Amino acid sequence: MSDMPDFSNVNSGSSSTAEKIYEVKAGDSLSKIAKNEYGDASKWRQIFEANQDILKDPNKIFPGQKLKIPPLS
Amino acid sequence: MQSSIRHLALVAAASMVLAACGKNEPPPAPPPPAPAAVPAPPPPPAGVTLSSVSLGKAVGADKKVSASTEAFAKGDTIHASIDTTGAGTATVMAKWSFSKDGKTVSVKEESATLNATGPATTEFHISKPDGWPAGDYQVEILVDGKSAATKSFKVQ
Repeated sequence: MSDMPDFSNVNSGSSSTAEKIYEVKAGDSLSKIAKNEYGDASKWRQIFEANQDILKDPNKIFPGQKLKIPPLS
Repeated sequence: MQSSIRHLALVAAASMVLAACGKNEPPPAPPPPAPAAVPAPPPPPAGVTLSSVSLGKAVGADKKVSASTEAFAKGDTIHASIDTTGAGTATVMAKWSFSKDGKTVSVKEESATLNATGPATTEFHISKPDGWPAGDYQVEILVDGKSAATKSFKVQ
């Protein structure tokens, strides 16, 4: 029996002044990614605009796509 | 008549000489000399490398900690701010761990793939809704899978 604390409920995140690359996972949406990356789901449009070369419809993203996550302006 | 014969003989002799010349074809042209040694291209840029790590309780818009510390309280969000130099794509990972009585347990791992165009600052943070257990912690920063720095801190 371990007497080590339980860290299973630890929350984590990251942000950068550099552009990040995010690989879409099943169940993702742009607003969910914006919430995780920026802490604000309403910033999804910034991700959509940075990826208009590969995204035509903000509601259609697919697992495995690599999205550019620009630093928040 | 004699002139015609002489003329024919001359033509025949000339043909023989030409034919003989054809058999002695000149040797094939020597291969072109090897091109002069091209100077080696400059070494590729070193890519993204870590320059410093600092810990704190909050970060600003520049992703740098507002006040560097290595002592935290139970309810703090803990930030690690990582300065990098160089350009390119790199995966930066923060591996957070807790140590007690010589044992170490993983707290959390978080990674970010960066497409850096120059110096950049990236922050990683962790929080625990029910508070951090007091003790000794560590964060190890890896760049493209290679350990680049380690920072220890305490929760009191």
